[in-house]
Amino acid sequence: MALTLELDCVTKAFDDFVAVDHLSFNLPEGEIFGLLGPNGAGKTSTIRMMIGITMPDSGVIRAFGQPLTRQLLNRVGYLPEERGLYKKMTIMENLVFLARLKGISTAEATGRAKVWLERLDLARWANSRVEELSKGMQQKVQFIAAVIHDPGFMILDEPFSGLDPASSVVLKDALLDLKKQGKTILFSTHRMDTVERLCDSICLVNHGRSVLLGNLREIKASYGRSSVQLEYDGDLPLLADRSLVSSSNDFGNFVELRLAPGADSQRLLQEAMRTAHIRRFEMVEPSLEEIFIDTVESTKKVPSHA
Amino acid sequence: MRNILLILQREYIVRVRTKAFIIFTVLMPLFVGGMIIVPARLAMKSSGVKRVVIVSPDVALANSVKTELTNSHLAGDEPAPRNKRGKPVTLKAEFDVSVETTPSEALRQQLIDRVRAGGIDGFAWLEPDVTTTRKCTYYSRNGGDFIEGALFSRALRVALSQRELTARGFAPDEAKILLAPVDMDAVHIDKQGTNKSNGLGAILLPFLLLFAIYMTVFIYGIYVMRSVIEEKSSRVVEVLLGSVTPMQLMAGKIIGVGAVGLTQIAIWLGTGSILGTGGFAIAREMLGDTLQDAHIPTGALILFPVFFILGYATYACLYAAIGSMCTTDEEAQQLQFPVTLPLILCMVFATTIMRDPNTPLAFWLSMFPLTSPIIMFVRVSVNMPPIWQIALSVVLSLISLYGLVWITSRIYRVGILMYGKRPTLPEILKWIRYA
Repeated sequence: MALTLELDCVTKAFDDFVAVDHLSFNLPEGEIFGLLGPNGAGKTSTIRMMIGITMPDSGVIRAFGQPLTRQLLNRVGYLPEERGLYKKMTIMENLVFLARLKGISTAEATGRAKVWLERLDLARWANSRVEELSKGMQQKVQFIAAVIHDPGFMILDEPFSGLDPASSVVLKDALLDLKKQGKTILFSTHRMDTVERLCDSICLVNHGRSVLLGNLREIKASYGRSSVQLEYDGDLPLLADRSLVSSSNDFGNFVELRLAPGADSQRLLQEAMRTAHIRRFEMVEPSLEEIFIDTVESTKKVPSHA
Repeated sequence: MRNILLILQREYIVRVRTKAFIIFTVLMPLFVGGMIIVPARLAMKSSGVKRVVIVSPDVALANSVKTELTNSHLAGDEPAPRNKRGKPVTLKAEFDVSVETTPSEALRQQLIDRVRAGGIDGFAWLEPDVTTTRKCTYYSRNGGDFIEGALFSRALRVALSQRELTARGFAPDEAKILLAPVDMDAVHIDKQGTNKSNGLGAILLPFLLLFAIYMTVFIYGIYVMRSVIEEKSSRVVEVLLGSVTPMQLMAGKIIGVGAVGLTQIAIWLGTGSILGTGGFAIAREMLGDTLQDAHIPTGALILFPVFFILGYATYACLYAAIGSMCTTDEEAQQLQFPVTLPLILCMVFATTIMRDPNTPLAFWLSMFPLTSPIIMFVRVSVNMPPIWQIALSVVLSLISLYGLVWITSRIYRVGILMYGKRPTLPEILKWIRYA
C-alpha cells in the first residue's frame, strides 16, 4: 500500500531542549492514524514540521512519496488545535481566502464552501462575521477550511473539542466519508475513546520519542484480556494491593484495573465482594486510555529506552 | 507571488472597508482645513463690530483717535493686507466709537458697569495730560483682546504724533506722509532665482505634505503591527503558515497596508485639489498675500512617493517585527516606543530644518535611515539640496532597508509562533541567527 506520509528519524531541538527525538512512523494511504501523547510530548512540534512551518534539524519527511516541499502542501489540510480565523471577516470570506491560498479558484471555493456549510448545518451563517459565532460553530468552519481544497492528507488537531454531541456525530460521519474516499487522516487528540473507535493505527509519543507504535487492534490484542472492569458500590482497598493489581483507574463506582502478573481474577472478585457490592465484573482487553497511562508512566521512569 | 498577492488583497479590502478608514479619510482634510481656516477666520473677523468709548477731555484728540481707529488701515503702521485683486481686506476688528468728554469717577464706574453688562466692548481712558505722559488705560471684558488694545495704542500714538507734527508746522498732508506705514515685501533667494514670498506661504504646503508622510507612516506602521498581533492572537497565523511562507506573509501584509495608505493619500490629494481650490480661494481671500505664493516645488512633488515608500517600508518592517514579538496590543504599546521615537524626532526637528535646511544637523538627519525619508523630504520641499545628497540619502535608505528586511523577517518568522513571555534581547538575537 502506498504511504501518504513517512517520518524517518526526524529530530527537532530548540536550544538544548529536544522536542522531537529520532521519530519515525509511516501513514499508509486511506488510514486514520492517531498521534497520541501527553502534553508537551512533542506532538505539535511534529505536526508543525509535517506542514512545513518548521524544518527538522535532521531526518526526512516525505509526503505522497516525495520529500516534503511547499508545492505538496497544497494537498495537505490542517486543523490546528488553537482555532484561527479572521474575526472581522464573514465565514464565506474566510473560507474562500484560505482555499485560494491553497490554489483553488474563487468560484470553485465558493461552490465547495456552500456544499460544506450545508452539510455541517451552517448555511444560514455564511455571511455572518466569525466573531458572531459560537465556539462550536467556529470549530466547524475551521474544519471546513482544512478540507475545502480536497486534500489527500489531513492533519486534525483535537477536531472534536468544543462540539456538542450532535455536531460530533456529523463531523465523525464526514471523517468516515473522507476515509472512504481514500483520504488519509492524522488525528492528534487526548480523547482516547474517539481514537479507539476511529483510528486504524496509533503512535504514542513521549519526550519526543515513539513509545508505542502500530495497528491499534494488534496493540490491544497483545495486552490480552488482562484487564478487569468493575462496577461497584462501596470501598475497594484491594486496589492498593500490588500482588493483585498492578495499576488502576478508579472513577468512584467504576474502576478499570490491570491484574498483577500471575494474579488470579477469581481471587480478586472474592476480595472485592468482601468490601463492596459488585454490580458488574468483566475481563476485557485494556482500553486505550489504560494503555496510554500505563505506557506514559513506564516511559517516564525509563526515559532512555527508545 | 500569487500568495503575496492574495495576502495583500485581503489586507487591503478588510482595511479599506472599516469604519476607521472611512472616518479618518473624511476627518483628516476637515481637520487640516480647520487648522488653516479657523485661526485665520478668528484673526480676521473677531466678533464683528466692537463698540468702544473714548473718554478724554480733549475733544480734538478723541476725534482724531476715533478717525484713526475707524480708518486704521489708512494710517496704521502696517500695510493693509490686499487680496489677489489688490483690494485691501479688513484684517482687524471694526470699531463703533463714541466719545465722552467729561471724565469723572461716576462715569468711569458707569462705563465699567456697561462693559460688564455687555452694552459696550470696552473703553479707553485718556488722562488729561496724555500729550506729555502718553499714557492711556484700556478697559475691556476680555483680557485676551490684545488686538483691540494694540490698535488703540497705535491709533493714539498716530493721533498724538499728528498733533505734534501739526503743532511744529507740518501741513496735515506732510504729516500723513511721515506717518504712512512702510510696505515691505520679503524676497526668498534660492538657487533658481528669487521668489517673492513670506514665511508662512512658503512652508505651508510642504508642511502639509510632511504631515501627511508622518501621519501615514506612523498610523500605517502601527496598522501593520496590529495586523501581525491580530493574526497571532487569533492563531490564524498557524493556518496561514500551512500555505504561505512567513516572508510572503510579511511582504503581503506590508504592501497591502501600504497600498491602503497610498489610497488614502490619493483620496486626500484628489479631494484636496477639487475642494482645495475652492477652500483655498476662501483662505486666500482672508489671508491675502499670505497664501499668494503657497506652492510645492515640482521636485518635491516627484520625490514625495519615493520618500513616502522608503519611510513607510522602513517603519513597517520594524513595526512588523515588534508585533511578532508580542501577544497583545498592550505589550506592543510598551515595546513600540523606541521605534516611534525617531519618527517623533523628525517632527520635532522638521520646523527648525524648514527654516534652515542646510545645517549639519539637517544633513546628518537626512542621511540617517530612520529619519532620512522625512527629513530629506523636508529639505527637498523648502530648498532643493544638491542632487548627490538626495541620491546618497536614497541609496543609504535602500541599503538599510535591505538589511532591515533580512533581520526583521527572521524575528518575524520565529516570533509569530511564540506565545507567552516577551522575548529578551539575547533571545531575539538568537532568533535572528536561526536560519
